[in-house]
Amino acid sequence: MAYSDKVIEHAENPRNVGTLDKEDPNVGTGLVGAPACGDVMRLQIKVTDGGVIEDAKFKTFGCGSAIASSSLATEWLKGRTLDEAETIKNTDIVAELNLPPVKIHCSVLAEDAIKSAIDDYRKKQASRRAQG
Amino acid sequence: MTDPFATLGVPARFTFAPGDLEQRHRDLSRALHPDRHVHSPPGERRMALERAVSVNDAFRALRDPLSRAQALLALHGLSVQEGDRAPAALLMEVMELREDLDAARAKPARIAALRETVAARVAAEESVVARAFDREGAPDARDLAQARDAVVKLRYFRRFQEEADAMEE
Repeated sequence: MAYSDKVIEHAENPRNVGTLDKEDPNVGTGLVGAPACGDVMRLQIKVTDGGVIEDAKFKTFGCGSAIASSSLATEWLKGRTLDEAETIKNTDIVAELNLPPVKIHCSVLAEDAIKSAIDDYRKKQASRRAQG
Repeated sequence: MTDPFATLGVPARFTFAPGDLEQRHRDLSRALHPDRHVHSPPGERRMALERAVSVNDAFRALRDPLSRAQALLALHGLSVQEGDRAPAALLMEVMELREDLDAARAKPARIAALRETVAARVAAEESVVARAFDREGAPDARDLAQARDAVVKLRYFRRFQEEADAMEE
């Protein structure tokens, strides 16, 4: 399986690998996985009170394309507002990394991870507001 | 895909006595071996060869328990596909196992302990598959759904084991 230079670059030097405190009300965590390949991907965002993503971390156990997709996603997320972050599409990741058709599902997983991290953050904020 | 259980002439179930499938594969391969067909007409010889190939394929599909479980699901039109999503509880468990394995790098005793944990989980999920397919009569919808969930888990545990193998090389 031939990987593109960008995939290799991200897989060998992944950006933003790590963990944010998932109990922190300003942190949203997305945990997703593709049973067909046995991949598991965690993506976390830390959001300022102004709604801007100030930090993003990921941890992925999977193939090079899955690692590269989530690594790229964290790079793109930093500095964006939540609304901007939501517009990131898996096809953007495919284009940037030159993913072959058999690896498109890795980018789908990364988009899923972004969305569930945002979702988790919003749910936390809503329940916080509800508690007053 | 053809039914590998039918090809090997064994019942479509999950549990087999140790060596059973191997014995069946050996017997069939011997009977189909080209040396036994040197005096047969060309048509028969070719058929024996084709059958030998499908017997090998069927054996490969059935000798590994995970692949056997997937073959059983396939008989009922079920499979784990791209685009399927894993349940959150499983993902949390697997993430923790994989992070623990990462931290156990170069610590053989810790890797061995994690392997034991995963082996117990594999045995538990295999017994779910066995419950669905080893009993008399066809599995019902509930059995099948549980067996499919078990196969998803088994795939994740298999990836863990592969990773542990790679670490110990």
